[in-house]
Order: sequence, then C-alpha cells, then structure tokens
Amino acid sequence: MNGTLKAHGNTAAWSRFLKRYGKFLYLLPAAVWIVGVVGYPVTRAFFFSFFDYNPLRADRAFVGLENYVRILQDPVFRKAMINSAVWTFGCVFFQVVFGLIGAILLNQRFRGRGGIRGLTLIPWATPSVLAAMMWMWILDGNYGLLNDVLKRIGLIDLPIPWFSQTTTALPALMLIDVWQGIPFFAVMLLAALQQVPGDLLEAAKLDGAGAWRSFWSVVFPLITPTLLITTVLRIVWTASYMDLMMVVTQGGPAYATLTIPLSAYYTAYSELAFGEAMAKATVQALLLLLFVLVYLRLFRRRGAVDIE
Amino acid sequence: MKKMVEAMQEKRKAWLMMLLIVAFVLGACGSGSGSSGGQQSSSPSPSASAPAAGGEPAAGGEKVTIDYWYWVDDAQNDTIAQLIEKFNAEHPNIEVKGRLIPFNEFQQTLINAYASNDLPDASRFKDWWVGQFANNDLLEPLDGYIQNLDYKGDIDEPFWKTGKTADPNSPVYMMPHQYITFYLYYRKDLFEQAGLNPPATFDDFLNAAIKLTDPAKGQYGFAYRGGGGGQDQWYAFLLAGGARMLDENGNVIINNAKGVEANQWYLDLVTRHKVAPPTAASDSYAQILAGFQAGTTAMMAHHIGSYETLYQTHGDKLGVVPIPQADPNNPATMGTMTGNVLYKSSGHKDAAWTFLAWLSGPEATDILSKSTNGQLPVLKSLTDKPEYRERNEGWKVALESEKFAITWPPFEGVGKIAGSVWKENNDLALFGQITSQQMMDAIAKALTE
Amino acid sequence: MSKRVPWSRILLWTLLGLWLVFALGPYVWMLLTSLKERTELFTMPVRYLPQNWTLESYKALLGQTDFLRFMRNSLIVAGSSMITTLLLAVPAGFTLSRHEYRGKPLILSLLISSQFFPSILLVLGLYPIMRELGLLQNLLGLVIVYAAFVTPFTIWLIKGFFDGVPREIDEAAKIDGCNEVRMIWHVHLPVIVPGIVAAASYIVIYAWNEFLFAVTFASSVRTNTVPVGLKTFIGDFVMRWDLLTAGGVMAAIPILVFFMLIQRRLISGLTSGAVKS
Repeated sequence: MNGTLKAHGNTAAWSRFLKRYGKFLYLLPAAVWIVGVVGYPVTRAFFFSFFDYNPLRADRAFVGLENYVRILQDPVFRKAMINSAVWTFGCVFFQVVFGLIGAILLNQRFRGRGGIRGLTLIPWATPSVLAAMMWMWILDGNYGLLNDVLKRIGLIDLPIPWFSQTTTALPALMLIDVWQGIPFFAVMLLAALQQVPGDLLEAAKLDGAGAWRSFWSVVFPLITPTLLITTVLRIVWTASYMDLMMVVTQGGPAYATLTIPLSAYYTAYSELAFGEAMAKATVQALLLLLFVLVYLRLFRRRGAVDIE
Repeated sequence: MKKMVEAMQEKRKAWLMMLLIVAFVLGACGSGSGSSGGQQSSSPSPSASAPAAGGEPAAGGEKVTIDYWYWVDDAQNDTIAQLIEKFNAEHPNIEVKGRLIPFNEFQQTLINAYASNDLPDASRFKDWWVGQFANNDLLEPLDGYIQNLDYKGDIDEPFWKTGKTADPNSPVYMMPHQYITFYLYYRKDLFEQAGLNPPATFDDFLNAAIKLTDPAKGQYGFAYRGGGGGQDQWYAFLLAGGARMLDENGNVIINNAKGVEANQWYLDLVTRHKVAPPTAASDSYAQILAGFQAGTTAMMAHHIGSYETLYQTHGDKLGVVPIPQADPNNPATMGTMTGNVLYKSSGHKDAAWTFLAWLSGPEATDILSKSTNGQLPVLKSLTDKPEYRERNEGWKVALESEKFAITWPPFEGVGKIAGSVWKENNDLALFGQITSQQMMDAIAKALTE
Repeated sequence: MSKRVPWSRILLWTLLGLWLVFALGPYVWMLLTSLKERTELFTMPVRYLPQNWTLESYKALLGQTDFLRFMRNSLIVAGSSMITTLLLAVPAGFTLSRHEYRGKPLILSLLISSQFFPSILLVLGLYPIMRELGLLQNLLGLVIVYAAFVTPFTIWLIKGFFDGVPREIDEAAKIDGCNEVRMIWHVHLPVIVPGIVAAASYIVIYAWNEFLFAVTFASSVRTNTVPVGLKTFIGDFVMRWDLLTAGGVMAAIPILVFFMLIQRRLISGLTSGAVKS
C-alpha cells in the first residue's frame, strides 16, 4: 500500500515536470547541435574583430575598435556596403516576384506537371561554380549567346562586354543569382499554396469572387507567413553569397562587384588581416540582425508572422 | 477510416526507419574504408593524419605515414597520384597519402590548416607564397637535406633562389621542381596575311597588334588578361619593358620612372590603342585561351602549360616567340616556380624529405614533365636532352627564355599582390580612376609592408 | 463542345514555356557542349550544335575521373543531412509553434545568427573543432556541419507550417485521446507534408551544392563531393570544359529524379479534408 502510493506520487511529479519543461525537450536536440557546431566559430569570429590577427603568426594584438573605425572610414568598404545592399535587395526582390508567379503556375493542373516541376528546380540545384561558368559563356562579351541573340534581333551592333563594364557587371551577376533563386521561392510558395484549404476557395467562388480577387483576399494572406519567412532568410543568405563574384569578376571591375563578404575574404586571405576581416563580417552580421529583428516586430504587429 | 490512416502511418514509420538505417550505414561506410588509386583509406575516426608533433618513431620496419597536399592542372591525368603510388610501391617503409585540392583554394586551405595545427608534412607550393610562409616560420629549411642530394648540382643557382626569402643568408625553403617562363603565342597565318614578321620588339608588337585589330569583325591584336591571375603576364611585360622590382641591393624600385613608363605602355594597349577585346578588364585565363583558340585574338602571352592545347587547335598556324622586348639587348621575361616544401610542424621530416627528393629527382620529374600536367623541369640533365630541347616550338622557346627569366621577389607582399592588390589597382588604372604612378606606388607599398 | 482553348490555358503554357527556356537554357547549352568534340569547343562565329556528336566527354568523365564516387559521396551526404535535419527541426518547429516561450523573437533570431556570417570566415573557427573530433576527411563530419547550418531555416519553415494548422485540430485530437507525440505524428505531419517536402528539397540542395566546407574539411579523393570534384576540373591553366559540362549534366540528374519523386507529396492533408472530421 505504501509502495503504490509512492509510485503514484512519482508519476505525478514526473508528469508535472514534463508539463512544465517538456517543451524544452523538443527544442534541445536542435539547440545543442546548432550551438555546439556553430556557437564557437561565431563567437570566435566576433571576438577576433577586436584584434590585429595575422593567421600565419601566433601572436595577436588587442586593438579594440580600431578595425571598425578603419573599415568604416575606408571608401572602398563603403562602396562594398552599397553594392551589398543593391545586390541583396535587388536579387531577392526579383526572385520573390518571379518565384511567386512560378509557384502559381506550378500549382495549376496540367499534363506533365511532375516532370516540369522537377525541371524548373534545376537552376537552384546547380553548384555555383557551374552556374558561374555557364552564365559566363552565355554573357561572354565576344561570342556569348546573349550578345549573339541581341545582335541578330538588331538591338545592338557590337557585343556588350557585360562583366567588363562598371555599369553592367553587377546587374549581370544579379541575373545569374535571380536565375538560381527563382526555383527556391517557387518551391517554398508552392508548398504554402498547398496549405490553402480548398473549401475556403470554394466559398469565395460562391460569393462571386473572380480568380484575381480570390487570390488576393483569400490565398495571399494565407501564404504570407511562408513568404515572409523565406524572404527574410533569403535576404540573409544572399548578403553572404559571394561565390559568383569570386569566380566571375573577383570583385571588379574597379570594385563594381565588391560586396562586404568578398571584401572580408580578400582582407582575410590575401592581406592576411583576419581581425579586420572579422570586423567587416561583424558589421554585416549586426546590420542583418537589426534588419531581422525589425522585420519580425513589424510583421508581428500585422499578425502576419506568428511569433507569440 | 481511422484504421486505414493508422496503417498508412505505420507503413511510413517503417520506411523512415529503414531510410535512417540505410543512410547512417552508408554514411559510416562512406567515411570508413573505400579504395582509390594508391591511397589507403583512413580508419573511421579519428582522422589518421600525422600528428603535429611527436609522431610514431620510424623504427626499422615501422611504416611511416606522410601527408602530402597538391594540386593538378589537368584533372583527367592525375600524374601526381600515379607518382605517389609508384613511390609507395618502391618504398615499403613510407606511405604517402596525397590530398588533391583545387588550385584556387590551395593557399587558403593551407592557411586554415595552419590555424588549426593541421598542416601536412609536405606540400606542393608556389614561389608566390614562400615569402609569406617562410617569414612566419612555417617552412623547414632544406639546406641540410640538399647537401646530401646526389643530383643537387643538376639544378642551377637561379632556381634554388626561387625557394629563398629576401634575406641574403636565407636557406632554401622550397625544393624547386617545375618552372614556367612566359613567352608569346602568335598566329602565323594572320601575320603572314598581313605581311608582318614575328614580333621581336615592343614596336613590332604594337604595330602588329594595331594592324590585326578590326572591332567590326570582332578581331583584336592581343589577349590582354585583366581578370584575376593576370599579374604574371603583366609582370612579364613590365620586365620586358625594362622595369625591375628590385635593384641590386634588394630595394623595391618598381615605382620608379621606368616602372611607371612600362606600366603605362601596357595599360595603353587597352585604353589608348584598343588592341585588346573590350572584355579585357575581366578576362581571366579561360577567356584569353578561348579567345585565342577561336581566333578572336592574334597574340597571347602564356607559358608551356597551354602549348599542347593550343597546338591541337591551331597546329602549324601556332607560332611561339620570346616575349617582345623594349630593349632587345637586355631581354627579360617572367618566370615562376612550382616546388615542394616541408613544414616545420611535421613529425616525420626525414621520411617526407625522402619523398620530396624522389619526387624532384630525374625519374619522377621526367614522368611529370612529359605528362599533360608537366612544365619545365629544373634538372639540367633533363633539359639538355634533345627530347626536351627539340620537343616542339613551345619547349624550345620556353627553355631559351629561361636564360633571362626573372621571378617575383621573395617578399611576403607578393601573396597579397597575387591575391587582390594587382587586380584592384589595374582595374582602377584601366578605368582612369588612378594614374600609372599611383598604381605602381600601391604595388610598391604592398611589397614593402 | 467547343474545341477552343481557353485563354488562361494559353497564358499558362506561354508562361511555363518562357520559364523553362530561361531556367533550362544554360543547361541545354551545357548539354550540347558536353556532346562536342574537344577541338570544337570554341569557334567563331558561335556554333550551337555540335558538328560531330560524341560521347567522349562522358567516357573521359566516367572512365578517367572519380566522378561517380563524387556523386555517391554527395548522395550520402545529402540523404543523411536531410534525415538528420528533419529529425532535429520538426520537434523544434512544433514546440516553437505550439508552446509558450519568453523572448521568442530573440530565440528565433539567435537561431539563424550563424547565417549572418559568410561561411568563409566561420571556417577558421570550425576547423579546430573538426580536427579535435576527428571529423576531417570524413563524410560524417560534413553531415554534422551541414545539419547545423540548415536546421535553423528548416525550423523556421516547419514552424511556419505548423502555425498554419488550426488549433481546432489540436483540440479534436486531444478529445480523441492523443497525447502530444501521437498527435504530431498522426495528425499534424500528414497535414504539413508540403512543408516537409519543401524543407527536404532545401536541405538536399544545400548539401548537394555546398562547396566551402566540403573543400576545407573533406577534400580527399575518397571523400570529395560533386562541387569539389567539379572544381578540380579547373586547374591553373587547363580548363576541362568537356569534363565540366559532362559532370554538370550528370550532377543534375539525381536532383531531378529526387524532386520528381517527392513533388507528388506536395499535396496537403488539409485539402483532403482532415479538418472536417
């Protein structure tokens, strides 16, 4: 009798514990994994931004905010910041717009839908070295496909050296990134479109709403959460994505395609000034953090992102 | 209905479990044994790379494992992997484990490895990096080992120099192996058609380039390499123009009047005479090669590494001459050395040296130089042989150019210049945002910092 | 019955056609180049179709390089990363959706803070850890790193999909006697399958394309993945276009197959009326 009472008490205590702290168990594996792998490098990067650190030497000198002051006064870095902003928001904007159209298209019923869905995914599934190589030739200034086509149509006389002009180099790279990124949004938004309950659309149709209106008033609000999540994350990634510039233009011509991460890369591995490089990266990280926090607050108020 | 749903869920659970098991088994297998040409697998974990200090003693009969990192230029013929296999077969006490790293990531991988105490025992290396690595005490001085090398007399002094630093008493840090000299390719047929002689002087060159440029037909005289990696070609022309990086005392003089003048001449090819394709500012190796192959350009500066490829395209129309000179009585061109280094952190230096000595020796070098990954051997005994001297036009000119080839100065800053400083400043100069003097000042600054 | 095609259909096919041309154009070019002889690679004026069709690029790729091994490695890494990440992210997404936490915005932002830095700068900090744990030159090491980097977004994504499941369903499940875990497994998951599919696509593609960590931590001939392998075809002065293009074409095939298989699951349980019952 005593034993049973005791057992009963234990189970009760256990279930009370679970009720209060059980939710953390869901989060724990992921949190431990992420923090374990990424925590140290991220803190280390931030830490080094306050030092003068040559990776080939053992010593490092604490310099406080000197790195930050230097880079913020550097006109080249300021240009990189502007390039980064144009690059990031420009690329994502077009990816979202065309990705959304793409998702709607792929959501329709038509023959061969499965195959076509798979095919449209391919640009996203291309390693960046390959994407860079392919587009480098399509946009080649001497015998690229694009110039050839434009010439035949009669729009231009002489081929345009896309990557060799300060005005066209960044837009050309953006074209490549948009090409890569559209399928990402198409897939994510397609999944979100699938979540829209069929009966809601039925109801809207019964109410007399046309396709256009039912999309905006019924469907769009429901996919907004996914849209916002994917957009903010795509912005964060695109800010750090520098493979294309590295392979195609090396930040040129004349800094036209130099973005913050690329600038940090050269500072780290070419000039061997890791501390300064980390400072550049941290500046970007802080700007992105700020952006994300503001974004979340803003859209929480609109009830679009459920973070409560 | 609920029963059906539950049945479906059970089936899905089973699938998931199976997938999980399969994936992890494959994953474990993938990281476990697997064979590839000549390279032994490492145990599942921890990694079997040689420890940074104090490894297993190489007692008689004990097998020593050496980590050797390298790149290849032609991935289809991994000559170096084959050489490693050969060495391992002939030396049962030593096992060399090769690791292939793409060239563009090589230096950065070494830097990352150093920061984590994970440098290999030995690796392939470029003279660009000797200054950086030796000055930071990462490389093992090789003089002691070289003294006992039986073929050491086979290598000329200028080649040994490429492995030293600027310090007059510097030991040799890099064992020289494969050399490259820059020369000029030109289209024999196009020159004949225009009634031009092969270019020997700067004036010949400019003249020919202008004559062979016709933008309306998409044809240009010279393949100017303004993209990443173009600094070698630039240096070759600067040297040919009479400029020098250093004076006899080792001071940096590249930004003197001669340097600025030579630099301006090279810039003018694009900005004033417009003999280069409009894509010049962003053209890297792939583009200038394609341009020359396709007939867009009539002349291209490069080295023996591209001879085979270009010969396949143009055959007898391919002409090779030494880089044209501003002053033909004082010729100069650019040379660069690829060699091998031993790391100070290695725990098996003797064994690693045995491998390097073998790799740089006549037998292995002969095999390497004759492959598609090959360049000029530094061993006189090989280059004196007719099979090398008479091999083809390219080899002839390349070997001839060795006599007056000058390499990059052994300064730390060379890594910086090759990495980003040259391209950035050249771009600004091409676009008229800085002057030639300013560009040369920036280069001088990078060297002396 | 009139045979006229409704204009909406025409519009659909036109837009799809344009999209396919844009998306696949470069691939078609790459495919054609891979079928050309090596001497044909660069010609003026531009020639699109090969003069002499040949499979020699593929023969060289498969016979003389380790490309098949690269593909196998990539498949292993992609598959393992996908499973690991989903196992980590689904519970985390659930709890962030259904449970209360103080400072949720902060948790969410911290989760993705690793993405704020370019990975090239994190490599230096990550390298010693990998070395200590013996995870270098090891596919398992890559999976661990990849999972850590893709889980944050996957959590956000899955959470978003959980948010889209009405709470009434939770109530209904509880009334039916489900505990939390069973509810997730039997009720929620079927409904958010499209989200899982989307997440799976993202993870697989990330692992398939990832280059930097692969080249730094696992670039031996034995453990090279496809992107690293492709990069080895670009040497200092030898560019093997034939191998690159053939490799590129082949690398796209598994992804294509994978997605064609799972895209059928992009149909939610919601639309099939789970709400009603």
